[in-house]
This record gives sequence, structure tokens and C-alpha cells, in this order.
Amino acid sequence: MSYVPGLEGIVAAQTQISMVDGANGRLVYQGYVIADLAENMSFEEVAFLLWKGRLPSHAELDALTLELASSRALTQPARITLDALPKDTDPMDVLRSVVSVQGVEHKLEKPSVPLAIHATASFPTILAMFHRRQLGLEPVKPRADLGHAANYLYMLNGKESSPELVHALNTYLVLLADHGMNASTFTARVIASTDSDLASCLVGAIGALKGPAHGGAPSAVMDQLEKIGTAENAERWLRDARKQKVRFMGFGHRVYRTYDPRAKILKEMCARLNPKFYALASKVEETALEILHEEHPERPQATNVEFYSAGVLQAIGLPKEFFPPTFAVARAAGWTAHVLEQVANNRLIRPQSEYIGPEPRKPVPLAERG
Amino acid sequence: MSEFSPGLEGVVAAETEISEVDGANGRLIYRGGYLIEDLAPVVTFEEVAYLLWHGSLPNEEQLDEQRRQLDAGRRLNKAANATLLATDPATEPMDVLRTVVSAQGASKTFSKPTLDQAIALSAVFPTIVAAIYRRRQGKEVLEPRTDLSHAANLLWMMEGKEPDPDRVHWVDSYLVLLADHGLNASTFAARVVASTGSDLTSAVVGAIGALSGPAHGRATFDARTMLDKIGSAENADKWLHEAHARHERFSGFGHRVYRTYDPRAKILREMAKTAAPELHRTAARTEELALQILHEAHPERPNATNVDFWASVVLTGAGIPKELFTCLFATSRVVGWTAHVLESLTDLRIIRPASKWTGPQPGTKPLQLAKR
Repeated sequence: MSYVPGLEGIVAAQTQISMVDGANGRLVYQGYVIADLAENMSFEEVAFLLWKGRLPSHAELDALTLELASSRALTQPARITLDALPKDTDPMDVLRSVVSVQGVEHKLEKPSVPLAIHATASFPTILAMFHRRQLGLEPVKPRADLGHAANYLYMLNGKESSPELVHALNTYLVLLADHGMNASTFTARVIASTDSDLASCLVGAIGALKGPAHGGAPSAVMDQLEKIGTAENAERWLRDARKQKVRFMGFGHRVYRTYDPRAKILKEMCARLNPKFYALASKVEETALEILHEEHPERPQATNVEFYSAGVLQAIGLPKEFFPPTFAVARAAGWTAHVLEQVANNRLIRPQSEYIGPEPRKPVPLAERG
Repeated sequence: MSEFSPGLEGVVAAETEISEVDGANGRLIYRGGYLIEDLAPVVTFEEVAYLLWHGSLPNEEQLDEQRRQLDAGRRLNKAANATLLATDPATEPMDVLRTVVSAQGASKTFSKPTLDQAIALSAVFPTIVAAIYRRRQGKEVLEPRTDLSHAANLLWMMEGKEPDPDRVHWVDSYLVLLADHGLNASTFAARVVASTGSDLTSAVVGAIGALSGPAHGRATFDARTMLDKIGSAENADKWLHEAHARHERFSGFGHRVYRTYDPRAKILREMAKTAAPELHRTAARTEELALQILHEAHPERPNATNVDFWASVVLTGAGIPKELFTCLFATSRVVGWTAHVLESLTDLRIIRPASKWTGPQPGTKPLQLAKR
């Protein structure tokens, strides 16, 4: 077989967790279309769905909620690491390091649902504690009576957020919880395939998500919108940018050939929650799509999930450095579900490479090298 | 779309000039076109690192410059040091390595991977590994020295005494032999992470995570554990036959790529005679019998001895406790990981394969909680 750049079109796993039906613009979790889940399900219900393959009963949901709530505290070494990292560290690096140290107590344990719950529960705590440290504020203890989204906001701000904002964050977390064989999920599965532990898989996935071509994009969307400044300036800015070959942030996706169903939901939320952002963003979107279409009429240059995520997360009150790690808060459910699926039917993922270097020759010893 | 290929076996996921595993002929080629058996007797680990990073062997001047950079990178920063000291000394060493490397590389600003970062990251591995060792012994962590090689520094920081030249040579040879090996699972993990445009630390941390797995980096530890259980050359026959009857896998045998004797195992087998004569005797007898048993059971399979089997003997002779074997592997392979990441930057493209949906047909409406 010849080299396949980016493994595009290569089937690397069989999965029941989610399906990205790019041609029809559908995202499906365990058989349910995302639009049917997004506004009505809690993140906890969706996490249960991804881990177990079905929606929980009332009793099962209560049990899961309780287990998540009781797993939110950080271990002593994790707290020390969190406090030792400089305050201006990229929160993704903080998350990667603290998830790593938090995981050492489960050394060599085979990944399991309880471990998945434990890890997923810790992400918001890590981020909220670090955020408060950056602001010079004392950490806030997690509240067991609050759901995953509500508790994250409570720990960040030290007070409860409005039901509207909690609902918005919950919807964001549901929408971003899984997305087929994306690069970070694939990383987690590659690591899991060596029979490694769950923390190793998550740490690798966080590292992959950090890349600008993956989860690093929502903050880039914000940067670009800040540069554009006003709706009136959009057309001029975008056309100038294009001449300088600047990429438009928040557009295009390898899989969707039509409007990303998550972006559609986020766009509506954005209009409601963040009208100021929406006024600028919707104008930028319209203009950007127009320009992209003029240049490449054959390409489906649809708006992707990052574009309106930025506005929703901003409305929730998150600083932009916390957009990528909040993506990780959602995706932790998907990553762990994929690891469990990989482990259940495992085979070491070890592809081939094609050698393009010189043919064998003899080395010259150091003393004889010029 | 292609058929599902479990484990991506046979799928070509990268073009590379860093190394080539020619399994059919039992050859390992390092960047520049050098066969491992030609390279190993004439180069140090530092020269191999230079080779994998640059594509050519260094001259004296280039090697000196790299040595200065390595020396400058050996110390842990404040956050990494605090992280190291926060972990229980009994923590699994690879978990500590993963965490401390992550903290060492944590930064304020995002940066694309660079060669300078590759050198600095590689330089700090022996410091972390030695610190793990010292803490397990209940001893103070020692500072690196600037007058010692990579291998010698590791032994110095572990033991706090002038390292024996033979042991330095064995560690150095091990590091040379394990520095790269095509698109193995950890290297592939590093390349997938890097393919999103992420930073070098993230790629290396992901690779450490993959190497921690029993099906990958832990194999050397497992081989030594098996040899410990066997105990002596005389006991090998009885132990192996009993283990085989229990359907136990023999650690240190078999490899997905090699169809003949692994060239690295050959070099290490020879070295093991002087590095650990007693253990060599047990291992040689074990190898002979294991290959015989495996051949009888599966005459069609090329059940050759792999590198882990003989590496476990040489590392033992060099005074490395088996709990640190996987960390030693990482100390070597980090130069390969970083070389692969740097190579991938020249034509970066996100690695995003497809998956095949095997779940229920989409479209079922979810029941509301009250109705479940």
C-alpha cells in the first residue's frame, strides 16, 4: 500500500460511539442525532450514553451524578503541581500536566468506566482552580449538589451562574463531547492500543487538542474577530487579509460537506446570549463565506464549530485562553469512551512508514570526519 | 473509503528518512543510510542524536556545540522540580517521567517544535530518571555534571560516584540501539499529536504515554521478570515447558515487523556476555529452549528473539534496576520522537483517519429522562 497523507479515508477503527455523516451534515451519538440531544440532555446523560451505549434511567443518572460529584477533588500531588506552574502558563499545559499527575495513583490499572468518571470529573476542578490562582483568588470547593456544567461555573466564579448560562455551557459540553475519529481521539486510541493507562491516553489527547489545527482554533477565531473590530470593517479586512493569504479562522472541515450541525445550534445560542459578538460574527461569516465561495466555488467552505463556540464561551464568561481546555472538558467523555471501546477489542496500532532516505552506506568514524 | 485494517497493519502513515525497519532482511537503517550494526561500534549516543536530528554525522566542532546545548538543558525548572518532589517516591516511574516532562515543557506562549527544544527535552530525561531512582532509594537528588556524557551523567546522577567506563559503554550502546525504530506506536503517537500543529512537549508526553503500555515499552521489564522467575540456566527447561503448557506468553520473543533475528538483539546478545555473565547464561539457555518450543508450536511463525530480551540482560549488567527499564527506553527514544516530529513539520497535515460506524442506525428519538 502506498503512503496516505493524513490517513485520509483510511478506516482506523470500528466504533459505535459517534458517527460524523459529513455528506448529510449529521453528527450521531450512539444512534441519536445531535440536534435531538443538545438542548434536552445533561452532559452527565450524554457521558453515560457514550460510555454505556444507552441513555441512563433515573436511578443510573443519580448514581453517575453522585460519583462524578464525589470525584472532583484533586490529589495532593496534583494540587502541588497546579500551584507550582507559573501563573501565566497556557491552561492547556496546566491541564496536561495536572491530569498526568492526578492519574499516577491508578498506575497500570486497565481503563474502566469508574476511572473514566474519575478523570472526567477532575477536568473542571483543575481549570477552575488554576483560573482562580491566576486572579489571585482562593480556590472554591466543588459542590456536590450541582451538575457538571453548573459546578464548573461555580468553581470558576465562586458563585452560581444563571440557569441560562448553565444551560448554555451544558449544551456546549454535549455538542463537543465526541466527534468520530478526530486527531485527539485517535491519539487516545493509539496510546490505549499499547495497553497503557487511561491518564496516558488523556494526556496525549490533550496534547493533540492543543494544536491550532484542532482545538486551538476557537481562541484564534476570537483573535481574528478582535482584529476586524466592527461589522462595517469586515468586508475590507477580510479582502485585504485574503490578498495576504491569511487563513479565515473558523471555516472549513475535512469531513463536513455541508453546515456543521453543531455550528447551527451554537449560532442560535450565540444570537441569543451574545448579541454584540453575533452582530460582528454573523457579518464576518457572511462575508467570509462569500469570499471563499468566489475563490473556490467547488469547495464546501462551511462555518465550523469553532466559529460560534467562541461567542458562546465568551458569553458564559470564559477568558479565551480557557476555550481550548473547556473543549477538553467536553471531549473527556468521548476520549474515555473511545479508550474503553479500543481496550475491549484491542490490537496494537502500528502502521508502516515508507523510507525515503539514502540507500545503506558505511559510517565514517568521528576522527575522520571533516 | 478503504476497508478497516485492525492496528493499521500494512497501512503507510508517513514518509520518513529518520529510520527504516527492513523486517524481511532483518535490517535497521538509521537516517543517512547507516545500518545499525555498522553504526553501533563507532558512535556514541550523542552522535546518533545529531544524526537523527540533522541527517548527517557530526564533526568534532558540531558535536561540541551540541554537547554544550545538552549540558545547558539538563536542569529541571522550578515547576518541574516541584512536580517531581510532589509525587510519592513509589510512583510508577513512567508516570513520573510523563508528568515531569509535561511540567518542564509547560509554557506561556505557544511555540512550534524546534531543534533547540528537542535538544533541551532530550537532555533532561536522564536527570528525571536518575531523580526517580534516587527518590526510590530514599536519597537526595543529585545535580548533573557538565564534564560527562549523556550515559555517564545518568549513572553519575543515579549513584553519585564516578561511573565505571564499561557500564557507561553498555548504557551508551543501549541508547544508540533504541534511538529510533520506524513508525512504532509511540513515535506514531508523537506524529499524530504534532500533526495538529501542537507543541513538542505535547508530542513527547503523548509518546511517553504510549511507550508506557505493556505491549510496547514494558516488554524489557517483562523479559527480565521472566528471567527472574526462571532463575537459572538449569531451571529453564522445566519453567518454559510448564509456562507453555499454561499458555503463557514468553516475554522477549516475536515482533510484528521482523521476520528474522532483530539486528539490535544480536549486538546486545554479544555484549551481554561481558555485561552480565551469570544472567547471560540463563538467558542464552532460555532463548535456545524458547525458540525451540515456539517453533514446534508454530513452525510457520518467525518467532525470533526481540530486542527487549537481550536489552534486559545488558541493562542489568549496567546496574539499571528493572523498574527503570522503560524509562531508559524513553531516554533513548526521545531523540527519535523529536526527530520524527521535526521531520513532519516540513509537510504538516493533520492525521485524521476515518472510522467505520457499527452502532445502531441513526434517527431514533431519545426518550426523555422521566420516561426511561
